[in-house]
Amino acid sequence: MIKVRLFCNQGMSTSLLVSKMRQAAAEEGLEADIMAFPVNDLDENLGGVDCALLGPQVGYLKDKVSKTCESHQVPMDVIPMIDYGMCNGKKVLEFARKIAGK
Amino acid sequence: MKDFLHNKVVPKIMVFINTKAIRGLKDGLLYSMPMMIIGSIFLLLANFPYTPFSDWLKAAGITPVLNQAFESTFNIMALIASVGIAYTYVKNEGYNGMPAGVISLCTYLLLQPSQVTSQEGASVGVIFKTWTGGQGMIGAIIIGLIVGWIYTVFLKKNITIKMPEGVPEGVTTSFTALVPGAVIIITASIIFAIVKNMFGTTPMEWIYKSIQIPLQGLTDSFGGVIAMGFLIPFFWFFGIHGSTLVGGIMGPILTANTAANQAIIDSGRELTLANGGHIVTQQFLDQFITVTGAGITIGVVIYLTFFAKSTQCKQVGKLGIGPAFFNINEPVLFGTPIVLNPIMAIPFMLMPVLSGIIQYLAIYTGLCPMYKGILVPWTCPPIISGFLIGGWRTALLQVVILALSFFVYLPFIRVIDKMYEKQEHQTQG
Repeated sequence: MIKVRLFCNQGMSTSLLVSKMRQAAAEEGLEADIMAFPVNDLDENLGGVDCALLGPQVGYLKDKVSKTCESHQVPMDVIPMIDYGMCNGKKVLEFARKIAGK
Repeated sequence: MKDFLHNKVVPKIMVFINTKAIRGLKDGLLYSMPMMIIGSIFLLLANFPYTPFSDWLKAAGITPVLNQAFESTFNIMALIASVGIAYTYVKNEGYNGMPAGVISLCTYLLLQPSQVTSQEGASVGVIFKTWTGGQGMIGAIIIGLIVGWIYTVFLKKNITIKMPEGVPEGVTTSFTALVPGAVIIITASIIFAIVKNMFGTTPMEWIYKSIQIPLQGLTDSFGGVIAMGFLIPFFWFFGIHGSTLVGGIMGPILTANTAANQAIIDSGRELTLANGGHIVTQQFLDQFITVTGAGITIGVVIYLTFFAKSTQCKQVGKLGIGPAFFNINEPVLFGTPIVLNPIMAIPFMLMPVLSGIIQYLAIYTGLCPMYKGILVPWTCPPIISGFLIGGWRTALLQVVILALSFFVYLPFIRVIDKMYEKQEHQTQG
């Protein structure tokens, strides 16, 4: 079981990626809880999360977000631009697993 | 070049974006937006383009109800903003933001006119919708930010009344706000007294006359349009969400322009340049500068979807075309990519400027109508959005812009496509 949270500006374009990631997880037979939220609601959405991913368009918030994530002991990183643009669910899921160490 | 931009230019822009004030402002304003769009729906119904229907609504007595709903959402946008900005500012600093939001609300009301003389000559206390709506926008921002800032300083310096352990959180919270609240309200009262007695006006009216009107003039100009059209893709080029950034800062002034246009209609006058109507409004930005996504990338999407030769481009087109109808273009921006891609920089920054200029001229010359108070969500598909905000002529102008986008991007996206095709050919061979 892996719990991943994605954060972007309003959680709009990220939700495209979320559905692709869920698909990829299902194909691998991996139990996954993946959701997207606006980055403003970061604090309220880190409970029990294995890893947090940031959309590249809000990558400039990385320092601030990583601090918040640290206080919740959630590892985080910015999603690579091309994988985000291509909605590459499989690659981003791998990326998430690597960060989460799962 | 790329390194120079990423190491030198972007960090400087970041410092600005991450300013507490800018963040509080753009995030705080997001609270008024949904209410304004909902209000617009009621306004659209009350002024439905099909006359028999609107006449029927009037006869059935429904129109006043629709107007009531409009007045209580759209026309209190500044009131909501004053709460939202102070709340967000304090929340971003890691404290409970609600008390600051409440203090900001009271301060905001304190600094504006609140008395009318009734027909019988008695003085009646009121909250003016004029000042809670568009005209109070800049005042609301200033007050929200200052209140948020002062409140945070008090909390940081621990100047609050402390309650013993075991007291319920709600009680503690109300006491936390007591000291900063009292200081803020007292200061605001003193400011009100000085302005009222020495200059015979209220701080809110003063802010409107000396700050907001000049700002509205500045945005509602040819130069303002070019700056806005250029800056959004400029930020996006560095992978920064330029639409929220520029929209966040320009938004309050642009919506004030929209509200001012509606106010002209409400006062029974015709919405024209001569009557003080504004060309550049929130609709101007949403439906012509960032339509189909920042940079008006629909041209790229069309090319990628229907004309691309390389697999990479076809793939991006397939992913991008759906969201593009709803003005979301991250797949195209990051997948093509357009972000940090020097070949795409020119059309990307040029297209919204062109669109802005064309729209400006179309409204200026009267080919297209000025925008009323009707706002649609930024995700509303083009052509439909144009029809709702301005009727068929505005919808047609959108069609022109979308077609233009294809030809502006064509030579550039072709180069990219060929590059990928060559690469793919090589890896296969």
